[in-house]
Amino acid sequence: MEKYSQDETFLARWISGELSPEELNEFQKSKDYSVLKRINDASQRLEAPKFDQQNLFNKLEQYKTNHLQQERRTIKLIPNWAIAIAASIVIAFGLFYFLNAESHYNTGIGQQLAVTLPDRSQVQLNSNSDLDFKSLNWKNNREINLEGEAFFDVEKGQSFKVFTEEGVVEVLGTEFNVISRANYFEVRCQEGKVKVSSTDANDEVVLLPGNAVRIVNNKLEKWDYNISEPNWLIGESTFQNTPLAQVIISLENQFGITFDASNVNLSERFTGGFTHKNLNLALKTVMAPMDISYSVVDNKIILNDLDN
Amino acid sequence: MNNEIKSVCEEKTYKSIFDLHSKALFNFIYYKCGDLEQAEDIVQEAFIKLWNNCSNVIFDKSKSFLFTVARNLFLNEIAHKKIVLQHKSNLAPDRTDETPEFLMEEQEFMVKLKKAIADLPDKQREVFLLSRIDKKKYSEISEMLGISIKAVEKRMSQALVILREKIGDI
Repeated sequence: MEKYSQDETFLARWISGELSPEELNEFQKSKDYSVLKRINDASQRLEAPKFDQQNLFNKLEQYKTNHLQQERRTIKLIPNWAIAIAASIVIAFGLFYFLNAESHYNTGIGQQLAVTLPDRSQVQLNSNSDLDFKSLNWKNNREINLEGEAFFDVEKGQSFKVFTEEGVVEVLGTEFNVISRANYFEVRCQEGKVKVSSTDANDEVVLLPGNAVRIVNNKLEKWDYNISEPNWLIGESTFQNTPLAQVIISLENQFGITFDASNVNLSERFTGGFTHKNLNLALKTVMAPMDISYSVVDNKIILNDLDN
Repeated sequence: MNNEIKSVCEEKTYKSIFDLHSKALFNFIYYKCGDLEQAEDIVQEAFIKLWNNCSNVIFDKSKSFLFTVARNLFLNEIAHKKIVLQHKSNLAPDRTDETPEFLMEEQEFMVKLKKAIADLPDKQREVFLLSRIDKKKYSEISEMLGISIKAVEKRMSQALVILREKIGDI
C-alpha cells in the first residue's frame, strides 16, 4: 500500500508491465497485490455494450445522400427562390390589378343609362358622360369618378363620394344631381343632405333639398330650385341662371348637334328648360328668351345675337 | 506513406475510417456518459462533421479529429447515466470444472467490481476502461483524451486505488 500511494504512476506502470523485476517482486509480497490482481484480471473480461456499427453507418450514408441531393438542388439552372420571387411578383401585380379593377360606364350623345351600384344605389347617367368606380370593398369605400351629368339615388350607409375634376360631392344617403363638364360644375340636392367641396375654389357648401350650387369662374354660386320641377330624368333639362355656354353644351350633348356661338355672349345667364323630344322646340325655348336667332348651315347651328 | 494522398471524401477511405474508429469512439463516449443513445448520437455527429469537413481533414488526422469533435460534443451534453458493463460469460475452458461455490463467489465479485467501476469519477473511469476493455496503450488514451501520458498514468493509478478501497479485502 505504501509504495503505490506514494508513487502516482506505480500502479499504471504495473498494469502496463513497466515495473522493474525488483519493484514487481516487492509489490507481489504486499497484501494488496492479490486484490489488485484480481481486479485487473476480472476487469479485462468486461465488455462494453453492443454497438450496431452497420446500422450507424447506414444512417450516415443516408445523411450523405440527403446532403448531396440538397447540393444538387441548388445547382438548378433557375433556383427555387428565383421562381418563388417571380411567382410573388406575378401574384402581387395580379392582385394589384384585381383590387384596382374599375367598373366603367359611359353614355354617348343623346343616351341615358341607369347603373345600379353594388349597394343598390341608383345612378342615372345623362348623355355623353363617364362614370367609374371600384366594386371591390364597395360598402366601405363608396367612391365614384364622374365626368358629365348624373343623378344619384344613394342608399344609406358609409359616406358616398363623387369625385369630379372640379370638386367632391359627399353624402349620406340622398338624391342629388351632379354635372361635371369642362369648366362647369353643378350639384343639385333633391333629398337628404349633400356636402360639396370644390378643389379650385377651396370651399365647402352643405346643400339641403332644393339647394343647388355651381362653380363659375372659380367661385361657388349657390341658389335654390324647385325640387318638383321637371328634370332631365323625365325628358326635360332645366336651368336657373345658368351661363349660356352650359345650356349650349347640354343641347349639343342631348341632340348631337354643333353650334357656332362666336357671335353671342356665352356668359349671359339662362333660366328655363328644354325638352329632349324635339330639337326645334328645344332651340326655340332656349334661344327666344335670350334674343338669339339661329340658322342651320352645314349641320352647324349658327347663333346670332339679335341685339347687335 | 500513401496515406497522405488518401482523401477522406473518398467513399472507400471514409468507410475504412468508420470501421477503424467508430467502435472505439462509441466506447469512449459510453464510458463517459453511460448512455447508449447519447453515445451513438455523438458518434454519428462526429462522423457527419468529419464528412462535412472531409476536404479539410487529412487522413492521418481523422482519428484525432473524431475524438476532439466527440469530446467537444460531449461537453455540451449534461445528462449522465450509470454505465452498465457486460462480462464475458464463457470463461476459459479449463475453468469449467470449478466448484459451484467458486462460481458463485466469482459472480458476486463481478457484480461488486462493475458497481465500483460505475461509481468511479468520470476521468478515472474512462482511462481505466479504455485501458482494460479496449486494451488501449497509455499513449493512445492520451491522444484520445487530449491529455499527457503522465496524466493518463495518474488517472489509471487513482482508478485502481479507488477500486481497491471499494472492493475491500476478499
